[in-house]
Amino acid sequence: MSRVNDVGGQAGFGALEIEADEPAFHADWEARVFALNSALVRNGVYRLDEFRDTVERMAPQEYLAASYYERWLYAIEKLVAERGLLGDA
Amino acid sequence: MTPEFRAGERVRVRAVDPVGHTRVPRYVRGHVGRIVECQGRWALADDRAAGVAEPRVEPVYTVAFAAGDLWGAGGHEVTVDLWESYIERVRRDGS
Repeated sequence: MSRVNDVGGQAGFGALEIEADEPAFHADWEARVFALNSALVRNGVYRLDEFRDTVERMAPQEYLAASYYERWLYAIEKLVAERGLLGDA
Repeated sequence: MTPEFRAGERVRVRAVDPVGHTRVPRYVRGHVGRIVECQGRWALADDRAAGVAEPRVEPVYTVAFAAGDLWGAGGHEVTVDLWESYIERVRRDGS
């Protein structure tokens, strides 16, 4: 079924905010999340499409409340845990 | 497998609603578009996302849709890259 990520053409989210001179990352942790995902994909821990699938599996209320890289971090944690590479915190 | 569709052909996006990950946005499902060009052959994202060991490899096409058909307004075109199994040829009777 279509999941919460598939919002193309949907109204009600307001106008897109376009920042002048937008930085690649808005905080250091975002850059680390980006690098971590690249390392995990390149090392074959999971595929990029599996990562996308996992982002889309977020509960709709969590997905909509999360920022872009918060969604990435959610998927990384979920996939690494599902593959048994991460113990309980 | 050679590409089934050529530039200029009209195709309809299958009105599917798969359970898992797919690269067919909801807003084009069931809509008719025009093949712009083939982008080569790529492993099907749906299979890769599902962990299929040997994902199907299919031609991927850039398909153009009239914005007015999708949104009810707008004079521009919207282009979406779609795997071959996402689309079907539009028959002569338009169905």
